[in-house]
Amino acid sequence: MSEIKLVAETRTEFGKGAARRIRRDNKIPAVLYGHGTDPVHVTLPGHDSMLALRHSNALLSIELDGKGQLAVAKDVQRDPVRNIIEHIDLLVVAAGEKIAVDITVNLTGESAPGTIHLVESQTLSVEAEATHLPESVDVSIDGLEAGSHVFAKDIVLPAGSSLLTDPEQAVVLITEPRGEAAAEEGEGEAAEGAEGSSEG
Amino acid sequence: MLIPRKVKHRKQHHPKRGGAAKGGTQIAFGDFGIQALEPAYVTNRQIEAARIAMTRHIKRGGKVWINIYPDRPLTKKPAEVRMGSGKGSPEWWVANVKPGRIVFELAGVDEELAREAMRRAMHKLPMKCRFVVREGGAI
Repeated sequence: MSEIKLVAETRTEFGKGAARRIRRDNKIPAVLYGHGTDPVHVTLPGHDSMLALRHSNALLSIELDGKGQLAVAKDVQRDPVRNIIEHIDLLVVAAGEKIAVDITVNLTGESAPGTIHLVESQTLSVEAEATHLPESVDVSIDGLEAGSHVFAKDIVLPAGSSLLTDPEQAVVLITEPRGEAAAEEGEGEAAEGAEGSSEG
Repeated sequence: MLIPRKVKHRKQHHPKRGGAAKGGTQIAFGDFGIQALEPAYVTNRQIEAARIAMTRHIKRGGKVWINIYPDRPLTKKPAEVRMGSGKGSPEWWVANVKPGRIVFELAGVDEELAREAMRRAMHKLPMKCRFVVREGGAI
């Protein structure tokens, strides 16, 4: 994916009061660090940053004081109730440099009839070139029977990426669903046992 | 019903109601979830009722995760009893849920079915909630 350009402004005042004033102006406080440089506190445009971060592992071109710098989002703080971005940590990267990122596991196809799939690991940690970071990896579960696993080592990664996750880690598990009656029966017994012991 | 097997103290102070959830605000296991928008004491009966409403609607297939546990006892004095004479007897087991907390998760069903199953479950819970979907890979 090509880089997304964001125009940043240097921050001069700090603390929760200043941060709240920035957020009221539809901007996001952020910090830019990496490659042994001193951290630079910046302000990013709110709406553009939100759209940019919809792509996972987006490569951002941060324009600060007329100079451009490549960066990736290392951490994003969100308000879980209002669903707004509160702060962004940006990691400076260089073209051609290899960095570790997490990519999403996308399932394709349908497992055998009467089975359900459980995604044990929603992301895979991979190492890739900063300018060619993959967003996701497709994993086919077409026709897999109950009891079968897809391990990290079985997944074909996007070109130019190498796996950092443990190769023996199970990513997808195909299983048979428990019926409603069986589930209620099992849990009912467990609850009865617990009640008995607590009273005793 | 969910109930602790053993507790250190039978009677506890009321849990604090203020603040927002510190963790458990992202969907961790499934594809869909119910997120609390208000603070509430959720009893083990309410959790069980919500779980049953959900599993009965999805019929077969799918997997449900309950992300909260009712580990706090609340006490109550009997009716028409004068004040004093010690703390009442344990009456309910509750989970102290804060805004933002993912209460239930669901996987293995399509979104339409999950939305309806979770809408039914939300009616059994004592606080305002919303249906949330896992966001693909965003940090």
